[in-house]
Amino acid sequence: MKRAFLFLAVFLGLISLLATAELKLDVKEHVLPNGMKILMIEMPGVPRTVCHIYYKVGSINEYPGITGIAHVHEHMMFKGTKTIGITDYEADDALSRKINELMDKIYREKYWKADGGDKGKTAEWQKEVDGLAQQEKKYIIKDELWELYMKNGGTGLNASTSNEVTGYYVTLPSNKIELQMLLESDRMQNAYFREFYSEKDVVMEERRLSENRPGYLFDEQVNAAFYSASPYHWDVVGWMDDLKKFTEEDMRAFHDRYYVPNNAVAIYVGEINPESIISLAEKYFGRIPKGPDVEPIRTYEPEQNCEKRLYGEGPAPTSIQMMFHTPPDGHPDKAPLAVLADVLGSGGGRFFMRGGMGGGTGRLYKILVKEKELAVNVSAFSRPQWYVGLFRFSATPRIDKGVEPEVLEKEIWAEVEKIKKDGVTEEEIQKAKNRSEAMFLRSLQSSMGLAMQVGRADLNRGWKSLVTDLEDIKKVTNEDVKRVAAKYFVKDNSLTAIYTRKMGR
Amino acid sequence: MKKIIILILVISFAGINLGFGQGQKPSDLKFPPLKFEPPDPAVYRIQLANGLRAYIKEDRSLPLVNIAALVNFGNICVPKDRTGLGAVMGDTLIKGGTKTRDGSVIEDRIDFLGGSLSFSVEERTSTLSLFIRSQDLDEGLTLFFDVLMNPEFREDPLKLSKARLIEQLRQANDQPSTILSREYEKLLYGDMSLTWQPTKATFESVTSANLRAAHQSYFFPKNIILAASGDFNKAALTKKINAIIGSWKNTRMTFPALPQKFPELEPGVYFVQKKINQGYISLGNLGIEDTNPDYFAVQVMNFILGGGSFTSRITSKVRSDEGLAYNTGSRFTYRWGFPGTFSGYVQTKSSTAIYAISLILKEFERIRKEPVSDEEMDTALNYYLESFPDFFSSPQTTMANFATLEMQGKPMDYYKTYRDKFRSVTKEKVLEVAQKYIHPEKAAIMIVGDWEPCNQGSDKAPGPLDKLGKVHRINLRDPLTGEEIKTP
Repeated sequence: MKRAFLFLAVFLGLISLLATAELKLDVKEHVLPNGMKILMIEMPGVPRTVCHIYYKVGSINEYPGITGIAHVHEHMMFKGTKTIGITDYEADDALSRKINELMDKIYREKYWKADGGDKGKTAEWQKEVDGLAQQEKKYIIKDELWELYMKNGGTGLNASTSNEVTGYYVTLPSNKIELQMLLESDRMQNAYFREFYSEKDVVMEERRLSENRPGYLFDEQVNAAFYSASPYHWDVVGWMDDLKKFTEEDMRAFHDRYYVPNNAVAIYVGEINPESIISLAEKYFGRIPKGPDVEPIRTYEPEQNCEKRLYGEGPAPTSIQMMFHTPPDGHPDKAPLAVLADVLGSGGGRFFMRGGMGGGTGRLYKILVKEKELAVNVSAFSRPQWYVGLFRFSATPRIDKGVEPEVLEKEIWAEVEKIKKDGVTEEEIQKAKNRSEAMFLRSLQSSMGLAMQVGRADLNRGWKSLVTDLEDIKKVTNEDVKRVAAKYFVKDNSLTAIYTRKMGR
Repeated sequence: MKKIIILILVISFAGINLGFGQGQKPSDLKFPPLKFEPPDPAVYRIQLANGLRAYIKEDRSLPLVNIAALVNFGNICVPKDRTGLGAVMGDTLIKGGTKTRDGSVIEDRIDFLGGSLSFSVEERTSTLSLFIRSQDLDEGLTLFFDVLMNPEFREDPLKLSKARLIEQLRQANDQPSTILSREYEKLLYGDMSLTWQPTKATFESVTSANLRAAHQSYFFPKNIILAASGDFNKAALTKKINAIIGSWKNTRMTFPALPQKFPELEPGVYFVQKKINQGYISLGNLGIEDTNPDYFAVQVMNFILGGGSFTSRITSKVRSDEGLAYNTGSRFTYRWGFPGTFSGYVQTKSSTAIYAISLILKEFERIRKEPVSDEEMDTALNYYLESFPDFFSSPQTTMANFATLEMQGKPMDYYKTYRDKFRSVTKEKVLEVAQKYIHPEKAAIMIVGDWEPCNQGSDKAPGPLDKLGKVHRINLRDPLTGEEIKTP
């Protein structure tokens, strides 16, 4: 009976795959003369439209001294423009300039001088700044942009900054898309960074929130050690020193360089009429002149050529991470690495379950959690980023059984070596393929998820890559899996991070 | 649906034809009203065999099916000496196998098909969810109902699950935010099933027989409502489900009584020591149930006070004006069967904890004293009215919302009357509910943070903390034993 069931299982799986062999993503595309791209996906249902705009800029476009600025900039984009968030632009601008001049003097005294400068002087200037900021308040209309969106039924209102992309999100009633076009085109062109210095305080609080997450500071060091040269070296939130020291002038230069229409894509998903969206986009975004071309980042990760190990202790659970450099997005090895991640530990490529499902069907889970009872959790994850890639194993040992992280390290290596030699089973590969396809279909159900995937993918290799990536996964063979395992899972390409719980219980 | 699309088309072109100038303002934009009527639950409701109720909607746009079973069983039903049984059941309903299938066979099969089957036990209800490609629906249904009807909680997976959950207990005091929400609820609700915490001993005491008994008591057709949507024929699906559940018997169940009285709380500061660089703070009192007729006015009031993110007073003051915090605002939580909580919240660097608390308390006072402005009312009401269609953002969300309404015994015209209830909220009513439900003078102020710098305060608001009321120090408990940890 069991055998018959298994056979049926494989058979059904293959049928499934054939039946939906042609996956389509119906995206309408329009490019404005200034280079800005408008994408549209019709999704009937309720009269709501997800309106997102993505810029090809993130923390990898920073450099030491201004780390964290992409994210602070995202915050500043809610502070208004020459017409939004302000009653008297000229009067406010005059005050802002004075504040910026004074802050420049304070920073030169405080940060340029080794001894921290004359504290009396800086306190005096700071008092002046506080007075000016107080005067400025009478011109400022607090969070007007946010309020405009909310009172027009805006939900999903947010923004986010990643290593590579910054996105601005709102979902509006379908008859109010024009509001988004007006506000977003205005802040692309006319952003005005009032209250810059108090907003930096907010971001420093945001960084402190991260610091209070057990294990965060260790993970930040692991990341920095893994990426030694490329700008993936620092976290999106940036180093505290830089957050303290960068200036409003740095911010303006950053905005002018990256917030240009030829560096952006806007996407609309929901009940829409593409023709009217195109007309509106031409009217609003079309009025912004094209900016200079944006150069891709220069520094990739050099070959590591040595094994790296990091040890830390603190108030988080004992754990081990094993990280390997892999090629960036778009490389032919991306698909076999995604399959490998799925076979070993669920998680992995773009369409697989995300968020550490730890699924009970991955090989490592079966061996380390179920059979040998050595681990509480174990996962494998492949992350091909735009310029560098990462494959990571993570595991938490069974403390009650006295298991050391190094034991898990040995076990994971043993499994990896087995794969290098024998590869994986046909059924495992087929499962990974079925899962990737089903997850892709699943992602098409959510208008917001779809906007995020399509918009982001478009900025790197075009939205069509979402479909071709899936086709690539379907072509993966056992030989491919063996080859990539042998190529990337070597000590000289690895960083092993072991963390031990020491404080608290 | 077509009608709506055409309407939008006309609206959009109308906008273009007006030809706004370059320097236009948002206030110049004119949006013709967009008519939207919520779907009627009765259209989707079906009574299946043995009294199993369901909300089912065909949706042929993708070759997929989503099914969820909402069960009237939650952590709150579990007796004190077996606290944690819900978590164990959440982990083993599937992994523990059924009378005829090994758990790993079920998981392997679902994964192989690219589907997902998951189960979770929440505070008051439980949900089993299936996602599957429509071509695999029959097999998916078989596994879904097998797990729902015939779980066996076999020994090996159960043993493993308990060991993993006990290991995870070690993390119970790691995150300041987890500590804060747990201790705040303990303070407001006192000793009840909601606030009981599992320990090594209570996890270990959970047996396969306990789990089967709990399953038998609560998992029967009349105590469950299905929500399903996707690529199927409704009549055919109904027939298939009825064939599977034909032999599923109902039992009689008495839901444990939920407390209606809660401890009288001594106002003041409740401090939990944790060596971190911020104070994690909640302050407030018990709230209301969402069946309370004042619910809609309370929503509007809280939106203005601290629930409407940047448009709200607390966020504007504490975050935008003062730069004191990334996260700050106020919230009412709602529970089914007894009141939720009200809290103002902020996480700010230790030295500004007192200052941030005093600003939030001032906003509590202000909303109780003065009527809110017309603009504030306008923004809050428009937000609720205009974003209303989000309740129906996908067929599965819509079906699940209907199932939840019926499960909680709310009127089935809830969505139909929803907007009118908001429209009838007045400024006077907002003032009235603020006075009725926000009590700054009786507030419990809970802080998780580092005592010295929090107690010292800052120039703008110097310490000590007892300026805010009597200070109570709370010791954490060892998550494995439940014993109090004495701080030196």
